[in-house]
Amino acid sequence: MQETRSNYREALKSLERQTLEALDMVVQALDRALEAVSYQDVELAGMVVADDDRIDGRYLEVHQGILSLLALQTPVATDLRIVAALLHVIRHAERMGDQCVNIAKLLPLSGYEAPKDKDLLDAIERMGQLARSQVSQAKQAFAERNADLAYDLLRQDAEINQLNIDIFNRALAIGDDIETREWAMHMILVARCLERIGDNAVDIGEQTAFVVTGLFREFADASHPG
Amino acid sequence: MIQPRLSLKRNSEVSRTDPEPTSEASKEPAVESSAPEERDRARPAQTGPGHRVSVSDLHAYYGATEAVKGVSIDFPPREVTAIIGPSGCGKSTMVRCINRMHEEIPHARAEGRIMLDDNDLYAHGVDVTSVRRLIGMVFQKPNPFPTMSIFDNVASGLRLTGNRGDNLRERVHRSLRAVGLWGEVKNRLDSPGVGLSGGQQQRLCIARTIAVEPEVILMDEPCSALDPVATLKVEELIDELKEQYTIVIVTHNMQQAARVADSTVFMLDGHLIEHAPTKELFTNPKDERTERYVTGKFG
Repeated sequence: MQETRSNYREALKSLERQTLEALDMVVQALDRALEAVSYQDVELAGMVVADDDRIDGRYLEVHQGILSLLALQTPVATDLRIVAALLHVIRHAERMGDQCVNIAKLLPLSGYEAPKDKDLLDAIERMGQLARSQVSQAKQAFAERNADLAYDLLRQDAEINQLNIDIFNRALAIGDDIETREWAMHMILVARCLERIGDNAVDIGEQTAFVVTGLFREFADASHPG
Repeated sequence: MIQPRLSLKRNSEVSRTDPEPTSEASKEPAVESSAPEERDRARPAQTGPGHRVSVSDLHAYYGATEAVKGVSIDFPPREVTAIIGPSGCGKSTMVRCINRMHEEIPHARAEGRIMLDDNDLYAHGVDVTSVRRLIGMVFQKPNPFPTMSIFDNVASGLRLTGNRGDNLRERVHRSLRAVGLWGEVKNRLDSPGVGLSGGQQQRLCIARTIAVEPEVILMDEPCSALDPVATLKVEELIDELKEQYTIVIVTHNMQQAARVADSTVFMLDGHLIEHAPTKELFTNPKDERTERYVTGKFG
């Protein structure tokens, strides 16, 4: 039994490679956005905003590639599930890129010399590390078709969600200085962006489980928790 | 429906031949250019529970070569079941066993049991001709009788079963309407059947098959010699016919199986590998070999 449809297989593999590379771009954008937050580096934040065009461009490429593959090759069975999942994954990558942009756009609002609170910043940095690790793990789980690794994303996501609440409470109690409070309000928004990135990573995990098992189910249902 | 029908006696005649129009205009196909009321008349009322074919442990041989190696399968009434698989997997042989055509080939024989509802098709003393009237067959290449007119082609089977006169004419016309051919041929019923296009000839053959009012229709690659438009017309026809008949279709075209079949069977090397609802078989096949075949990984 010899392998057939080699052009088609190449095209499918290359679409998956392009899609997963978009997650690498997200990790890079996230690294820069977090560094910009830590050092209040407005210029670096500007680069994050400008570079998002690369992720958007990748989204369009993959989308077009998937349309062509569907029209020309009619994938079925596991191939069809991969193609459907890739459409979701590239969409999530694009959304995560946008969240990095949202973070970057918040920085200039506090000015170049914003006052900071160490506890709050530590929590943001911890959250950032978790979000980064979730994106990498989501990519690895998809590439390896590892449903257990995908499901493990939920564990990290629970920690991110808790940090999000902690940051909110810390910002409420931050004191009377107006500039510090303004910065803290912006950090609440940054935390919200990181929390959304974590959710997107979990969604990619759900797509991994779908490819592996053929069944789609949400790992956690926000409207019916527990 | 339970009493034996293989003694050449049919008991579903009355209901099946009800010429009254039914109010199912919404299900009319778009492929036909003839007036809608003509197509309405072509659609007999739904009758009875339909007919089930059950194959158990079927082995079919060509001399010493075993082509079908112990296949058991149920073809449910009023459903289209598609059989796919690479050349030589035994799919055509299996289907030809169902209406006892396989045994016509020298040195060919079949073992096992095939039931049409409660009747054993291979029981001692069963009249083979009556089996083939109840279980019609449409072939890959349209095969109208070359010396016969369009009318006579459809009438041929009916004449053999003793239909004459108005009744004959009525049933020929109804069959031609049912396959969507009436509008195209009503003014030239006396022209030769072979003067039609390939797609029309195939629908003529389907009209000939349903004219004798079978219970099951077997189709062996019915569209592989047709162009895409003629293929789609036949596929729409299959979709209509399944309201009345149990349909088994052998096809090399997996997209065709996906389009027309309620369930799909994958065969390989004489064995039934997987039988599942079509949607499932093409999105999430359970067997690795099915997966490899439908995704085209077989060389």
